[in-house]
Amino acid sequence: MSDFWIRFSRNKGALLGIAMLAAVILVALVAPLMFPKGPWQMVQRPFLTPFATEGLPLGTDTLGRNVAAGLAYGARVSLLVGLVSTLVALAIGVPLGAVAGYYGGWVDEAAMRFTEFFQTIPNFALAIVLVAIMEPTLTSITLAIAIVSWPPVARLVRAEVLSLKKREFVDAAQLAGLSNRRILLAQILPNAMSPIIVMASLMVATAILLESSLAFLGLGDPNIMSWGYMIGAARTVIRSAWWLSFFPGLAIVITVLALNLIGEGLNDAMNPHLNRKGRA
Amino acid sequence: MKHLLTTSFLVAAATSAAQAQQQGGRLDIVVQPEPPSLMLGLVQNGPTQMVAGHIYEGLLRYDTELQPQPSLAESWEISEDGLTYTFNLQDDVVWHDGRPFSAEDVVFSADTFLRETHARLRVSLAYVESITAPDDNTVVFQLSEPFGPFINSFEAGTMPIVPKHIYEGTDYANNEMNATPIGTGPFKFEEWVKGSHIHLTANEDYYLEGKPYLDEVFFRVIPDAASRAVAFETGEVDVLPGGSIENWDVARLMEEDDVCSTGKGWEFLAPHSFMWMNNREGPTADPRFRQAVMYAMDREFVRDVVWNGFGKVATGPVSSRTNFYTDDVTDYSHDPEKAKALLDEMGYDGTPVRVLPLPYGETWQRWAEAVKQNLQEVGIEVEIDSADVAGWNQKTSEWDYDLAFTYLYQYGDPALGTARNYIESQIEKGSPWNNVEGYRNPELDAKWAEAAVTFDRDERQKLYTEIQQEIVEDAPVAWLLELEFPTLYDCSVQDLVTTAIGVNDGLRDTWIEQ
Amino acid sequence: MAIASTVLGRLLKAAITLLAIVVLNFLLIHAAPGDPAAVMAGEAGAADEKFIAQLRERFGLDQPLHVQLWNYVSNILQLDLGYSYRQGAPVLDLILERLPATLLLTLTAFGISLLFGVAMGVAASARVGKLGDSAITGVALLFYATPLYWAALMAVLVFSVWLGWLPGFGYETVGADYTGLARVLDILKHLILPAATLGLFFMAVYTRMTRASMLEVAQMDFVKTARAKGLPDKVIRRRHILRNALLPVVTLAGLQAGQLVGGAVLTETVFAWPGIGRLMFESLEARDYNTLLGVFLISAAMVILFNIVTDLVYRLIDPRIGATR
Repeated sequence: MSDFWIRFSRNKGALLGIAMLAAVILVALVAPLMFPKGPWQMVQRPFLTPFATEGLPLGTDTLGRNVAAGLAYGARVSLLVGLVSTLVALAIGVPLGAVAGYYGGWVDEAAMRFTEFFQTIPNFALAIVLVAIMEPTLTSITLAIAIVSWPPVARLVRAEVLSLKKREFVDAAQLAGLSNRRILLAQILPNAMSPIIVMASLMVATAILLESSLAFLGLGDPNIMSWGYMIGAARTVIRSAWWLSFFPGLAIVITVLALNLIGEGLNDAMNPHLNRKGRA
Repeated sequence: MKHLLTTSFLVAAATSAAQAQQQGGRLDIVVQPEPPSLMLGLVQNGPTQMVAGHIYEGLLRYDTELQPQPSLAESWEISEDGLTYTFNLQDDVVWHDGRPFSAEDVVFSADTFLRETHARLRVSLAYVESITAPDDNTVVFQLSEPFGPFINSFEAGTMPIVPKHIYEGTDYANNEMNATPIGTGPFKFEEWVKGSHIHLTANEDYYLEGKPYLDEVFFRVIPDAASRAVAFETGEVDVLPGGSIENWDVARLMEEDDVCSTGKGWEFLAPHSFMWMNNREGPTADPRFRQAVMYAMDREFVRDVVWNGFGKVATGPVSSRTNFYTDDVTDYSHDPEKAKALLDEMGYDGTPVRVLPLPYGETWQRWAEAVKQNLQEVGIEVEIDSADVAGWNQKTSEWDYDLAFTYLYQYGDPALGTARNYIESQIEKGSPWNNVEGYRNPELDAKWAEAAVTFDRDERQKLYTEIQQEIVEDAPVAWLLELEFPTLYDCSVQDLVTTAIGVNDGLRDTWIEQ
Repeated sequence: MAIASTVLGRLLKAAITLLAIVVLNFLLIHAAPGDPAAVMAGEAGAADEKFIAQLRERFGLDQPLHVQLWNYVSNILQLDLGYSYRQGAPVLDLILERLPATLLLTLTAFGISLLFGVAMGVAASARVGKLGDSAITGVALLFYATPLYWAALMAVLVFSVWLGWLPGFGYETVGADYTGLARVLDILKHLILPAATLGLFFMAVYTRMTRASMLEVAQMDFVKTARAKGLPDKVIRRRHILRNALLPVVTLAGLQAGQLVGGAVLTETVFAWPGIGRLMFESLEARDYNTLLGVFLISAAMVILFNIVTDLVYRLIDPRIGATR
């Protein structure tokens, strides 16, 4: 493990990613302290330009709300949506992939048909329909994102399990009389963790992008200030108030970038000899 | 800002005779969203009307003072008792397929076709006993009671005249000709490239000499509001009809050179916005709560900021642009203290209320957010509900809401556009166009009924004034703004808006200065 | 022969998948609040009970759900996508009218992204650890992190509003009636911005993938052997490394077909591109069930077809002759 940290900390990109993500998380945490009035309060005249008014470093939006406050509170929502939807996706994809890979046969066939089925429906289109049906709330959006993003997890886990299954330690465990469940949970999955973690870090990033894309089409939760919601609301004024969509857009780019850098760093640190098949 | 300039120019143009008009040219107009169909007798939504209002015609048009003007009818007469309406039709009118038009088409349209398909017109037709054609050029409507607003029922969106030879005896909804509409209007249907544009060309056999001036019109479908604004800026389109871009862009574009604007052309529809407040249950069932909502809202702020100064604060159920309006009613100016006092008096316990915005773009979303802030300031707990168009229809027409944004067209007369939202007989699930809030006031119901069948104008004004005064006090709904949707156009486009429904039937007279 | 039978087998599986998609989507969309009659009543400006009942009857919505499902599925089995009551036209016609635009957009975006992505990935891997590598991977990361719709808005702003070089929306110049080459050029001009923005994200993906894959293959034994034989670097790179490195890229490309089609919804909305992505979103809003289901079916079929094609391509470039995966 210490090898891992040494390698990881030598990766400049990964460290930069950690720093950026830490900053975003910090802002998310202290948002209520910095902006006790919350992101919805109309504090000043609308359309104040950034860097011009004291106390309003990023200006005000179409209703005179503090853009900086929106960004800070938006960070909480975007991170939350990214994290929770990824966890849910893992909760679906990991067991499915593991069972498929381990047991093989008809179980594998059925699980993979099921996965393929979800990969065949264009995922963004499915997300749109799901959110429209459940009506846009934080829960429905998170759930919809999870539902469309688990299939790659299942495929990855299945492939990992397939290759790990042939290793000696699995044979040994079988000979020792451990139950299949024990072997899968205690022996195989822990060894498959590293690629799953790498993929998860990228999925958080993709989920944040998805949430913002849904909000852009008007499918955001109107009671929750998220970055996507801010861009969706500001896109119609992009010509007269660029900063309203620029800053949340920048926040998304920074966060997604940070997560990607971290993901790559993890990947490199865990697979020092590039000895695995590339994955994205 | 060329708003005022243009208006005065139009007046000047109208007085300086007609020979200035130039023949030819092409006009590109945004239509948003893409209409589902162009058969105006079957579908009467906004986009359909804007395109098909130039293919089909009604018997009359209305000027911006809501005065009737000739269209398919050259002249008309109303008997003194208000029971007999006689229309003399234009000579030499032919359908776009070359078949002659006659009074029989009018009788078929009004008495057979539209009775079947047109829900809004059915209300007016209920007062009509018979429709007859004594000769090829004359149509007589015989009423059973003198229905005051009947003369306002003849524009193309309310009573489009459809060809009898195509529709008689067929299944109207599935008639193959619906895809290639045949009307009598100044423009003919040429082509519809779905998702892109609808192409109309000038009707060379049009019965008015020299008209239309334009050679062709393209109705352009551009799904994103920001892209529509860009299309106008880059000169791809010449006209942005009211409501096709967000207000912030309207204000920005109006400052540009060669951009003209007009707020006219909405007099007939006079969109009147308000929030339904569920009178049946929850805090909104208490009139004091509803009055508190009225006082809590800063409607001037919304007008200035969300609507960029367009529109007018509504004083009650009738628009100031509609006939029989009065401003002599309770004044609900922004007064948070009064609102709080009312809430205290009723003992509001902090039960949260849901606000359902209208899913028509960012302006409405911001509006709901502003109302939420206003209500929270006086201590009302608010949550914004969300729904797309279908979900909004479902929730409002099934009464599943506390406060719901909407706007209704006024159609020039309280009996046509207003009464339906306040009388008990219009309480019926399934439609978002009736008394959705569930307001019951039998005494007023009687007055509404009496006013509808009164023919004398002064008599009607008196009744409607009484109604407005009492209803505003009760605040069954929260009146918001008389909406104004400015139409933006390139300044070379002339006589674009000359009627009370503007670009929905006005292109007959439009020309381009080369 | 082997290829033909696999293709056949895949087509059969595909048919079953499609049928399952139809059923699932049918149930999903009917679970959404509101129905087409309510939407049309809402647009009509007035409605009464009779009006809505008429519409429901016309749309067949007055029947029990399982009957509607049965009718729909049996129509699909006869390759009949049904009728859009809202638009008054057969669904197949509506889709076919718009399918070419979407195909043009997605295939161009795919082509651009694959071409540039592989080229950039190869270039980066050749300079691994140097400035050029960092520059390319940096740009790729940035493209990867930029929301698609945001890039689209910016592209319109810069290239069509400020610079005026390219049209910002639409499929071709409306009413210009170009024919032949002039029309092709006109469409190409309209295609550049949407295809480029849709392709950006995927280009970033392929760049990163190609780079990683190139580096991985470069360390394999057969490459070392080739080097030992004294083959020039360029030849090794092209013949040995690239060919092998492309395999995972192609696999990935096949898996991402669904995303590409999904991304088209956003691109088509911003650029007013008259394709089926927009048709899908609009028919969802209008609860135009048949059209929505039809679009889903066709786009799923597109994804499957795309997967089969990438499979064939995989076999073509796979240097191990006759190898099965």
